[in-house]
Amino acid sequence: MVQFLQQLINGLSIGSVYALMAVGYSLVYSIMNFSNFAHGGVIMLGAYFGFFALTLLKLPFMLAFLLASAGTTLLAILIERIAYKPLRERQAPFLYFIISAMGASILLENIVIATIGPTFRTYPLVFERTPIALGPLAIGRLDLLMFLISAVCLGGLIFFIEKTKMGKAIQAAAYNIKACALMGVNTDRIILVVFGLGGFLAGIAGVFFGMKYTVYPQIGNITTKSFIAAVFGGLGSLPGAVLGSVLLGTIETLVAGYLSSQYRDLIAFVILIGVLIFRPSGIMGKNTVDKA
Amino acid sequence: MKRAILAAVLILSLALVGCASGAKSDTIKVGWFGALTGDQAVWGENEFNTVKMLFEEYNTAGGIEVGGKKYKLEAIGYDNKGDAQEAVNVVKRLTGQDKVVAILGPNASGNAIPIAPVLEQAKVPDIATVATNPKVTVLDGKVKPYNFRVCFIDPYQGAVAAGYAYDKLNARKAAILYDVSDDYSQGLREFFKINFEKKGGTIVADESFNGGDVDFRPQLSKIKAAKPDIIFMPYFFKEVALSANQARELGLKQVLMGGDGWPSDQLISMGGKAVEGSYFVNHLDYSDPAVQDYKARYKAKYGKETELNGYLVHDAVLLLVAGLQKAGKVNGEALAKAFEGIEVQGITGKIKISPETHNPEGKDAAIIKIVNGQYVFQEKYAAE
Repeated sequence: MVQFLQQLINGLSIGSVYALMAVGYSLVYSIMNFSNFAHGGVIMLGAYFGFFALTLLKLPFMLAFLLASAGTTLLAILIERIAYKPLRERQAPFLYFIISAMGASILLENIVIATIGPTFRTYPLVFERTPIALGPLAIGRLDLLMFLISAVCLGGLIFFIEKTKMGKAIQAAAYNIKACALMGVNTDRIILVVFGLGGFLAGIAGVFFGMKYTVYPQIGNITTKSFIAAVFGGLGSLPGAVLGSVLLGTIETLVAGYLSSQYRDLIAFVILIGVLIFRPSGIMGKNTVDKA
Repeated sequence: MKRAILAAVLILSLALVGCASGAKSDTIKVGWFGALTGDQAVWGENEFNTVKMLFEEYNTAGGIEVGGKKYKLEAIGYDNKGDAQEAVNVVKRLTGQDKVVAILGPNASGNAIPIAPVLEQAKVPDIATVATNPKVTVLDGKVKPYNFRVCFIDPYQGAVAAGYAYDKLNARKAAILYDVSDDYSQGLREFFKINFEKKGGTIVADESFNGGDVDFRPQLSKIKAAKPDIIFMPYFFKEVALSANQARELGLKQVLMGGDGWPSDQLISMGGKAVEGSYFVNHLDYSDPAVQDYKARYKAKYGKETELNGYLVHDAVLLLVAGLQKAGKVNGEALAKAFEGIEVQGITGKIKISPETHNPEGKDAAIIKIVNGQYVFQEKYAAE
């Protein structure tokens, strides 16, 4: 029982890392209908921004956090302007967006390798590594903080989308961006806001990832899992992305803990494929055919 | 994009090396490949730097004499990104386009194994540095004619780790965590398991992860429940540091043990207190007087410490030069013949290449313990 609870805590903690990353994918997908693979690169740079803010600028933790998020917000907007806007203006097919996104992702990784270098770096110790002991259970301090900050950010995001005027516009654009533009909404601005929000979350995810694990140019690869989690939960749905991530993290952990760590990914992904066969749009996805 | 930058860098470095080495007809072209980008770039860079430094030293001393004629050495290096497919591509390029006489590297077994057919076709020998998997030089009981190495092999390393854990650290129950997607890690795990069980110990947990994973807590929680005396972690330092940190977070206090994938400055900076008191099997003792000179020269030239790979590639260069001199001509086929049975005193020990296995025979392993963030040599240890 103790082991089960510990594995559940592990799973939730891994799931919340996925969730922070997955939301960015979902957010862009809901408006633009394509998977923004450059998101992984933005997360990676977020981790580097946070690292340099803490080590070179010696900023306090919260400030480093804000600086990293501000940096990734700008970066995400920049990527949109450079890599996607020209395609949007030419009404290019969605496939082109995906290719452009992959290009941006590879570019970011290689810029980092060429300038900062390929070695990995370690964040200075911001929080003690000794976990909070709950009887025989161990809960990491960083995990707890991560859980809280993620919850606040995701809550704030949902509030923004549900309650503000801009949020309403985003919802409308997600429903039908062309009709939205015909109604006089500045969809270009909406797209910028969406990329900015995704970038902001990417910064937070990157800093947490760096603190929890380490910083290296290939961090972007890990976002493959969070992308899968977003698909599993239903691309385009924010609560779906969170749910999908938490479920994926937990399934992975329980498979590794109780069935076999050798077959963890195999079994976890067979489960995912199984779910998608019965619910192609994911657990909470919008049931539309044209969004692929 | 990656390729373009790399190509530019390589062309530039080649141009520099080319200028230094002077006349073209009297140079011996030697290939090197390894990872200059990606996870293992730290080691690749270290190896290539060492090769360039040693070649430069030979050249300023007037070059090497082969068959009564003086030659300068020229290093041609390519990045294979630590990728097995890319390894085959760069070896094709080195043998086909650059016409090198021999190749140094790679460090990873997974990259050294697939290049054999290309080497055989081109008749160019390769000296692997830290590729410890048996299949690098011997496949299905047959020695590969053009593959050599300067390090001991995994069955030996696994036996050393198991023997030391059982006999010296008195461990009876061991847990293993290994990388299921890596030849090196799988090999070490297998030979540790066989030898530890042969001695009378039990493997109470045998868990794995996939290359690229960063979270090991599910496996570690399982290991914790199995209550081992020691945890064997046969993989590379990035994952070692991450898994060690996570093990301590989960309250595991056991001694950790590993192989030659551990030693790195970054292990200490990333792992910190979590790896304190751990043991690992290594190719050499860093405080050995024999290695100090190279260590200092490297530091003076590049402004940073050499990694483990540098020492091994250093000895690969010694072996190469000795082989060329023994062969008496600049020819890959003759060189491969010359390597067989050759004896070279390297800085990591005596290297006597066995004609049957192309491995250095009887190289001792060094047991290193991490004490106060330092690698402290314990003893030379040979497995039965």
